[in-house]
Amino acid sequence: MEPILSRNFNVKDAWTLPVAESRGAYQTARKVLTSMKPEDVTAAVVASNLRGLGGAGFPTGKKWQFLPKDSPKPVYLVVNADEGEPGTFKDRYILERDPHQLIEGILISAFAIKSRKAYVYVRGEYAEPYRRLQSALDEAAAKNYLGKNIFGTGFNLEIVAHRGAGAYICGEETALLNSLEGGKGYPRLKPPFPAVVGLFGCPTIINNVETLACVPPILKNGAGWFAGLGSPGNGGTRLFSVSGHVKKPGVYELPMGTPLREIIYAHAGGLRGGRALKAVIPGGISAKILTANEIDVKMDYDSLKAAGTMLGSAGVIVMDDTASIVKALYYAAKFFAHESCGQCSPCREGTGWAYKIVRRIYRGEGSLKDLDTLLALAKNMEGRTICVFADAAAWPIQSYITKFRKEFEEHINNKHEARISKFETISKF
Amino acid sequence: MNHTTILNQLDSEAEKIVAKYDEKRAATLMLLHLAQDKIGSVTPEAEAWVSKWTGVPAVRVREVVTFYSMYHQKPVGRRHIRFCTGTSCMLAGHEKILDHLKKKLGGEGKISLEEAECLCACETAPMMQVDDDYHGNLTEKKIDEIVDQLK
Repeated sequence: MEPILSRNFNVKDAWTLPVAESRGAYQTARKVLTSMKPEDVTAAVVASNLRGLGGAGFPTGKKWQFLPKDSPKPVYLVVNADEGEPGTFKDRYILERDPHQLIEGILISAFAIKSRKAYVYVRGEYAEPYRRLQSALDEAAAKNYLGKNIFGTGFNLEIVAHRGAGAYICGEETALLNSLEGGKGYPRLKPPFPAVVGLFGCPTIINNVETLACVPPILKNGAGWFAGLGSPGNGGTRLFSVSGHVKKPGVYELPMGTPLREIIYAHAGGLRGGRALKAVIPGGISAKILTANEIDVKMDYDSLKAAGTMLGSAGVIVMDDTASIVKALYYAAKFFAHESCGQCSPCREGTGWAYKIVRRIYRGEGSLKDLDTLLALAKNMEGRTICVFADAAAWPIQSYITKFRKEFEEHINNKHEARISKFETISKF
Repeated sequence: MNHTTILNQLDSEAEKIVAKYDEKRAATLMLLHLAQDKIGSVTPEAEAWVSKWTGVPAVRVREVVTFYSMYHQKPVGRRHIRFCTGTSCMLAGHEKILDHLKKKLGGEGKISLEEAECLCACETAPMMQVDDDYHGNLTEKKIDEIVDQLK
């Protein structure tokens, strides 16, 4: 397969404008802005079956069509570059290695939704990706690919790069808006949806980095071409972030719907040291775990949903037979307890208690009853909060315990003593 | 130099940052980053300075400071390390490397260490961030080399 999103990842200095231009950057934007109507661009994105690649998988063109037709308020495009889902690192590759691809995607998308201002919210820890992006924005502005009267069409666009400050929840799009407005990253109740009431109370479209990077190729090669790359209803390719116990961890661009087995064995080189596969998390830490017998599944939104899990951010975490599922749940529970924003009681209390109970089990101080307590707790967290964070925290608990119950019971019965990691501490040396 | 003096010298930079946003309160996070970079932590003086520029009441600025893990109310070390404890780093055996790092840092006094959630560089697990920079595929030997350079 010819790489599309990753075609410049290994080209030297592709993040600089001269190299990006030599690889065709901004030619599609020029064609679109000078020859197409905004509605036609949106229609192409709808027809391409492009779906939100941050994790939710909502059809991108449909999201754009939710914008009110005749609002007197400005429309904002907000780019979600707050990559934080454990096991995911693909947006960092785009920001660091091919930021002009993203900027061109923003330019075409802003034209389609009639936005004059875009904000890119980059995760705070991504200092170098942020610098690369800012440098690329400066270069693009200097050549009038951004700014006023772009390509002589009268279209204006300003893009502001913004930094978060270390909070996973800000990847949730309404938390991101509150954070961008200068507040705590608390998710908002929906409706109203951001397309109607978003940033500063104005109509706003929030799209992920990878999603927007797909837009130039769609407009260049056609919606039908893009739709044909994936599986039905799931257009295009996907950047799979593969990590854990594989020989070759990394980012792999493959068609939507590529079987998980093929990703692990044909692309990521199979398991280290020829060990046996034990489990796979297919879509970032929030996705339900799959056992070694469940990997003959197509990696697209609909197939993984049918398999009882989700594609999410396409962060594939592979575990071999040396991995402890109890330990994996301990680290997952620690993550969710740390990152719950604290706004909704079921999540704030639920993640805290889940962490305490899992820690107790992990240390060898648990009882068999704890497993059912955890399952009941997880059930009571699902669907009871403003955003899906609580659900995401519940899914690892449910799937790890249900699918590996024997291992948990053995751990409890054998009173394993396990090391405890420090929780949110800064030590000075 | 006291903090207020340093902050007042950042006023022209702050003005440029605020001008990028359609509402000045949106500059809060960026101004907090700037203040912390220059004075080493977010002090009450820094909160007041951010409040002055954004129109956000100082008490709301304090809420923001305590919500996000990257803002520190007390100074961290001259160099600050975030050691990733995400699932992929755990699978790659980060605990042994972390223990070694702690031993290596013992008694140093100028370097602070934080156990961080996933820093999204799982392809290089185990990994850590020293100030702005990511360091991956860590081994005990690599930790020694990095820390020796920091000292």
